[in-house]
Amino acid sequence: MERITSPGSRSGSCRDDKQFDGEIEGLMTEDDLQEAAVVPVTESTFTALLGLPANQAIELLHETESVKSPEIPTADIWKDSQEDQRTFSYPFNCSLTFPTNAALVERAARFSVFASAQDSPERCSIPSISSENSPKLKAEPANSESNRSSSPILSSSPTIPKQNQKSAKRKEREKVKGSVKKSKYVENGNKDGEKLPYVHVRARRGQATDSHSLAERARREKINARMKLLQELVPGCSKISGTALVLDEIINHVQSLQRQVELLSMRLAAVNPRIEFSFDSLLAAESGCLSTGSFPSTLTIEPMMWSELQFNGERRQQHQNQHQQLWEVDLLQPPVWERENYNNYHPSENSVFSYNSSAESVSMHSNQLKMEL
Amino acid sequence: MNSKRLPSSPCPHRAKFNSRFLRALARINKDKPTSSSYQEICKRNWRIKIADDASMASAIGSRRVWSRVMLWKLRSRTSYRALIRSRAIGLKRKKQKVELSHADQLRQLVPGGEAMDFSNLLEEASHHIKCLTAQVQVMRSIADFYST
Repeated sequence: MERITSPGSRSGSCRDDKQFDGEIEGLMTEDDLQEAAVVPVTESTFTALLGLPANQAIELLHETESVKSPEIPTADIWKDSQEDQRTFSYPFNCSLTFPTNAALVERAARFSVFASAQDSPERCSIPSISSENSPKLKAEPANSESNRSSSPILSSSPTIPKQNQKSAKRKEREKVKGSVKKSKYVENGNKDGEKLPYVHVRARRGQATDSHSLAERARREKINARMKLLQELVPGCSKISGTALVLDEIINHVQSLQRQVELLSMRLAAVNPRIEFSFDSLLAAESGCLSTGSFPSTLTIEPMMWSELQFNGERRQQHQNQHQQLWEVDLLQPPVWERENYNNYHPSENSVFSYNSSAESVSMHSNQLKMEL
Repeated sequence: MNSKRLPSSPCPHRAKFNSRFLRALARINKDKPTSSSYQEICKRNWRIKIADDASMASAIGSRRVWSRVMLWKLRSRTSYRALIRSRAIGLKRKKQKVELSHADQLRQLVPGGEAMDFSNLLEEASHHIKCLTAQVQVMRSIADFYST
């Protein structure tokens, strides 16, 4: 398994799982050591169990020790173990006095609960190493079961890291691939071992009730619902049956829309400088916009107001209270408008643009008007 | 038809998009002198593209993945050109259509679609289509008005 160095919340949870793996593994080594103390066998058996040369195992335990000791709340025990190791001939750093091993296991169990809350700095070394040893862990519970009173806890706990590791492996695969089927993997991982919220789907008559197929069916239904929406959105798609053709049509539609946007922007860029703005035609265009689009109703009122304001100076007073900002611009413009000299006025267009009544735009328009006048 | 989605989303965003886009256009017009050299037109074309993308993305806000991606691309100012180029490349890629599956093609078209699973991708695509149609309508009406 490759080392994971990418940060992220998912990798954080993976690291937590791996740390738990490492811790459990550390506990396992302790049990084995005690076993070895009973039987006068040295580290060779343990490493034989692990299938590793002695040096690697030592490195492994060193690393798990060194990384875990600053983080674990039960750091005192590890410190004790480190002190003890000097007195023993064993090359391992793990504790060889086990009066409180049951307490250790309980703490480890508690620690697993809080594992997700913690985030340790260096976990990259642990995952690769613990992953190597985790398949060997399955053999170890069999050995330790006969000995310890806490063995049932230990036998259950390796299954948890195994499942954690499975889901962690899956999560890593997802990270590496970035695959489409992530949701399916996560759902499978959820239903296998971890107690995360389930997707409640009722199996229909005549259909399989396997958890996998249920999850797949839920996913398929979700996708089909969204495809129906898309079909309604894209014109001419409702007649087509079959996912592939519909997708083809959708892709074509999106491409054509993007191309249209580009063409229109080119048109706007090319056309803009030569224009003489005429207020009436602008109003017509805006009303055309409004009829085709779905503007809020207040905007429809305003162009009508503007046209009235052009010809009836008296009516401005009626609209004072309602449209103060427009009226402010109005004050600067009345002589211009009464002259009906609209065509060359850039600011008139901008005054229409100040629909949204932002003070900045109005001040900008007033500045422009002053410049023009 | 999913009633909660379709009628509600175009209306408020459309007004926002219109106002921002028109303001941006006005600003672009105001700044430059009225020259019709080719370079100027290209520059303005580029700025207008940026403007309409930015106004659409900011009108939608952070509600959607694709708008977030667009906003991020626009704000990291080094990649303005890359944004435009990526669109051009997206158009050229239709030659390779046969090699890619439908899902992958859609991912390339919708910004931010690379990192989504299929169902989310479909939802983002539908929203993107809606917004693109609105954008096209507004721009077409403005262009028509200016050309008459």
